[in-house]
Amino acid sequence: MISSSQLQFAYSPQKKFSFPDIQCNDKETLLILGQSGKGKTTLLHLLALLLTPESGEILISGKPVRNLSPREVTAVRARHIGIIYQRPHFVSSLSVLDNILLSNFLADQKEDRHKVKHLAAQLGFSDHLAKKPSRLSQGEQQRVSIARALMNNPSVILADEPTSNLDDDNCHRVIGLLKNQSASIGASLVVVTHDQRLKDEFPNQVFL
Amino acid sequence: MNLFKISIANLLEKKLNSFLSALLLTLGIGMISLLLLLNKQLDEQFRRNLKGIDMVVGAKGSPLQVILSSIYQIDAPTGNIPLAEVNALRRNPFVKTVIPLSMGDNYHGFRIVGTTPKYVEHFNVKVAQGHMHNASMEVTIGSKVARQSQLKIGDEFSGSHGLDSEGEKHVEKKYKVTGIFEPSGTVVDQLIITRLSSVWDIHEHAEHAEENVAEVAHTELPGHADPEPDEEGKDVTSALIQFRNPMGLMTIPRQINENTSMQAALPSIEINRLFSLLGVGIETLRTLALIIISIAGVSVFISLYNSLKDRKYEMALMLSMGATRSRLFLMLLIEGLLLAVIGFFTGIIAARIGLWVFSKAAEEDFHYSLQKFAILPEEIYLFFGAIAIGAVAAALPSLGIYRLNISRTLAEE
Repeated sequence: MISSSQLQFAYSPQKKFSFPDIQCNDKETLLILGQSGKGKTTLLHLLALLLTPESGEILISGKPVRNLSPREVTAVRARHIGIIYQRPHFVSSLSVLDNILLSNFLADQKEDRHKVKHLAAQLGFSDHLAKKPSRLSQGEQQRVSIARALMNNPSVILADEPTSNLDDDNCHRVIGLLKNQSASIGASLVVVTHDQRLKDEFPNQVFL
Repeated sequence: MNLFKISIANLLEKKLNSFLSALLLTLGIGMISLLLLLNKQLDEQFRRNLKGIDMVVGAKGSPLQVILSSIYQIDAPTGNIPLAEVNALRRNPFVKTVIPLSMGDNYHGFRIVGTTPKYVEHFNVKVAQGHMHNASMEVTIGSKVARQSQLKIGDEFSGSHGLDSEGEKHVEKKYKVTGIFEPSGTVVDQLIITRLSSVWDIHEHAEHAEENVAEVAHTELPGHADPEPDEEGKDVTSALIQFRNPMGLMTIPRQINENTSMQAALPSIEINRLFSLLGVGIETLRTLALIIISIAGVSVFISLYNSLKDRKYEMALMLSMGATRSRLFLMLLIEGLLLAVIGFFTGIIAARIGLWVFSKAAEEDFHYSLQKFAILPEEIYLFFGAIAIGAVAAALPSLGIYRLNISRTLAEE
């Protein structure tokens, strides 16, 4: 579960953002729609604890994160938040398998190869585990990054424009998988996008 | 999964950059290591053969040449000196021993040296097989001569004139092997040792080839068992002198140089001179090696700096996935350290291969072998030096990790 209230953030005195309040319970989904320049990525980074808001409150699994130390913030992010970026980025020197296992390693969790295989089978990239991520297509890469975000069973999954580089087929496939997987681990799924194709997929929507 | 694995994967990802950095380190470390090895072994070889010899007398010419030819058997002798003058030195109260040497022939490049039993005693070399030569034209051979020339006890061979194997052969008279010395690590290993009279016999024979054999045989007098030969009119090549006390060093060399046809050369002075001449070259090479090592450090720096620029997003990604900055810093440090360790070990191995090649050449030319491949204590310092260079070169660019703005880096692309 994730919620926020009265979030404000400023890059500079001229460039200020005030965001509407957000509430997404476990197993629910939320679509945040907005044109570029409206602070979509800023909001996502605030929710992902990558940025600290000027004012306002964020609750993750019902707990406030305002007064945590940087190290605690890192630990909360690693254990409770899975992030999927607009462009899937990987550690280019490692194989797909190792990139996914990296989630476990960096969050100090036990490496669960079994789970990787299971996710790979469900997301349809079992044949590519030993390859370098750069050899995969965009759609495949995005599916790998979904698997990576799910590895630590996060309570919140945040996706930043997960479909904007994908064609219609891949778009629907990726969103379907994302919804299924996050529902299966009981996480809240928050998607930030300007992609109008996703409008009909999500009952709960917020406009920036 | 651990940091090592990621570091190794990162190095393999940039194979050419890693290779260049490791190669430069290998070159620098290898050069320094080779210099250390050569320096130590040359020094050892020179000092071991020098031990106890205070002065060498030989024909006038280069004193260094006298030393090199008489003690180390590597240069040509300067000429001959009368045995009578050499023996006159025995009467000087400061002189303890006089060991005359006579050379001029070889067998397959191994020098045949005529001398007195004192020579072998001086180097404290024992006979391993057979017995010591005790008549003219009998020889005892060094261990390396035995191994390489395949000569056995009882074999006969004829020497060639001069000091390299191409010389004209003395076919009329043959030497006979009566004994083989044990290996001693001294110059004796590569010599064929005989009595002074053998060398005279051979050359008288050559000079009076037309005279009949009986007469030549006649010159082999029974009196040859005398360990201190004193034949008038005979020449030797040089003589090794030991003094009874250091006072000899003060007076005798000058007397010899001023009053006789011989010249006195002091090994300690000449060898120091030789080493200071070599020293210039060694110093230059060492400076060059240090420059190469510095370039290796810069190369590690640049390749990590560049790859860090390329991998900025990766770093931000790993930070967002829960990596701490110190952990990523350590990961980058390991990359530099791995290169340093690889460079060090390949350098050390390269130096051994270099030494082996050098030793082959030295063995062919001078019969000296330099086959000691153990790690030197200096190389342990070299190891820490390499580690320090790798660490500094990796740490400097990697400090950027602590300034990386995760959100901005992730948002930029």
